[in-house]
Amino acid sequence: MIQKEKLLLIIKREYFTRLKSKIFIVSTILAPVVMILLLVLPAVIQTMSGDRVRQFHVYDETGAVGQGLVASDSVYYQITEISPDTLRESLMRGEIEGYLVIPHEILDGQGKTLFYHGGTAGMTVTSRIHSDVQRVVRDIRLDRLDTPAEVRQVLADRVQTEHLTISAEGEEAADTGFYMILGFIMGFIIYGAMFGYGAVIMRSVMEEKTSRIVEVIASSVRPFELLMGKVAGVALLGLTQFAIWAVAGAVLMAAAGPVLAYFTASGPETAQAAEAAAEAAAFSIPPISPMIWIGFVLFFLLGFLIYSALYAAVGSAVDQESDSQQLQLPIIMLIIVPIMFLFPVSDDPSSTLAVVLSMIPFFAPILMPVRMAVLQIPFWQLGATIVLMILTFVILIWMSARIYRTGILMYGKKASFRELWRWMRES
Amino acid sequence: MSDSIVEFDGVTKQFGDYRAVDNVSFEVKKGRIFGLLGPNGAGKTTSIRMLTCILKQDSGSIRLFGIHAGPETQARLGYLPEERGLYKKMKVGEQLVYLARLRGLSYQDAKQRIRYWLERFEAYGWIGQEVGELSKGMQQKIQFVATIAHDPDCLIFDEPFSGLDPINSEMLKEVILELRDAGKTILFATHRMEQVEQLCDDIALFNKGRLILNGDLNEIRASYGHNSIKLRFTGDSRFLSDLKYVRINNRSTNFAEIRLLDGADDQVILREAQKHVRIKGFELVQPSIQEIFIDSVSREVSS
Repeated sequence: MIQKEKLLLIIKREYFTRLKSKIFIVSTILAPVVMILLLVLPAVIQTMSGDRVRQFHVYDETGAVGQGLVASDSVYYQITEISPDTLRESLMRGEIEGYLVIPHEILDGQGKTLFYHGGTAGMTVTSRIHSDVQRVVRDIRLDRLDTPAEVRQVLADRVQTEHLTISAEGEEAADTGFYMILGFIMGFIIYGAMFGYGAVIMRSVMEEKTSRIVEVIASSVRPFELLMGKVAGVALLGLTQFAIWAVAGAVLMAAAGPVLAYFTASGPETAQAAEAAAEAAAFSIPPISPMIWIGFVLFFLLGFLIYSALYAAVGSAVDQESDSQQLQLPIIMLIIVPIMFLFPVSDDPSSTLAVVLSMIPFFAPILMPVRMAVLQIPFWQLGATIVLMILTFVILIWMSARIYRTGILMYGKKASFRELWRWMRES
Repeated sequence: MSDSIVEFDGVTKQFGDYRAVDNVSFEVKKGRIFGLLGPNGAGKTTSIRMLTCILKQDSGSIRLFGIHAGPETQARLGYLPEERGLYKKMKVGEQLVYLARLRGLSYQDAKQRIRYWLERFEAYGWIGQEVGELSKGMQQKIQFVATIAHDPDCLIFDEPFSGLDPINSEMLKEVILELRDAGKTILFATHRMEQVEQLCDDIALFNKGRLILNGDLNEIRASYGHNSIKLRFTGDSRFLSDLKYVRINNRSTNFAEIRLLDGADDQVILREAQKHVRIKGFELVQPSIQEIFIDSVSREVSS
């Protein structure tokens, strides 16, 4: 039924005109930059704000704990003889940042250290002070009891637990939480891609409609062929973009080690630094199984097909992008819902909630890769989800094509949901 | 019937409660210029959209080149829609090749033909420019080339002269006649009746979705006889309003077309006119298309 050569022509045009477009080039470069910034920026900001020198006054009744604290960091802690009442006033005037009052009975295991500060001290400061005081007080008390070194060792020792995962093939690997992060990243990439490429389809339909070219095209090919060509062309574009990112990423990873080694090797402590750099380069990303990649690409594609069918219908129903908001709303909701469940699903990917949500065709593009990253999904679940998604796509593209056929010829009119329904039934 | 290029047989198309085309039948013969005439909303564009398979008729049959309208007939049609449009961001050459190939031309043929037509319209220099950078008039030319580049056997022009300056209009008219002489069949939709008289061999008059008159333009006009007066004069034209048994068309300060209705006598009108104005010209002629249209509509209503 479909005229293959014409379909191919349409796919080629959709693909190549977009491939050469500024927006494609810019988004290909900018998207990873933004992504990396989002990942790195919080850490950078954290270290930048850590620069400030902070100092806390210690009013010590024990005559021992204060010294211990100062011994651990003489800038952070400063012993003071000024009475707590005066300290309090200085704090209220903003002259000092904060102060500690350590009661003498603390060494008998009673009373409590008081930490005063203006406003909220922040998590980092409170937890540091808490652990510093805890350690110093414990050591002094152990000293008093003449505790033997062996006992201290026992107390200081940490009991280690290692998390391991075993695959169906019996391979062992350290579970570092990396896969959970991987799943999150994949979920967010697909989330962004659904919006991004959906908008591409919508604009493409709208452009043909507002420029009126569609009537010429529709007199040469079937609207369904035009629609399918568009969807296929943009899907290829998406795959191309992912391929570019993947290759660029692999090249960067491969290049990072040697480059790092080269620069550090030219410094003074040659051998040692080179070793460290090599280690850093290998700062091993755990192996990502091909199944995860395949799943990612597959669910991206299926998700794209489903959402592009919806976006195409919206695009054909309006003349201007600003008119599309209302019609887009249900699509946006469908894309956002799985993001809200991202955490519960990756936290317990085998729960009924996670299984059911990830098998719903509209949510699967985001949630299934998230689950696939953290565990091996039973084959029946994958198979059933894929079949469901294909069915959903076929139904949606059929409905969308009917709306499209009527919509592209309706100029200067903003359609409502009721009208879309009528077009679908009547055409 | 071998020379019928287009055949409409009892074609009806309905949008909701609105009947855009109502039981329409007509034929277009090979090598003729066929005018689809009627006011806006009469059903011309809907008929054309069904002919080009953009819309599907609810009932009746549409045949082109002896077969039912479908993908095979689409390739042999050239269509210039009333609403013009091209991809703005695409280069002229690429765009024309793409559109021609969608109609089934090979890449080489497409390039060659497009070169010929662009040179013909003195537009070959724009081949590497984006369409959006061109002026309206230039875009019109490009669109026209897009319509004819694949050498279709049947051409459909929907309001082809709208938005064209006089020079381009003249050029277009020339090309249309040339295409007809080359054996192409041309359908031509317009609500501007005066354009029809210069170009069309046959006409089909549409009103409110119905075909009210169809046939050879000269025969139709001959059947009306010389029942109109072309009057040129100087002086006060108010007397025209007092004439009985006539309809006045194309009235201006020194000209009027007077249609004689039953009971009117041209000699009476001549004498009456002499009383009021100086007569520069008085000629009995066949009615204009405009007049024929009005006449047909009023007859439809009364019947």
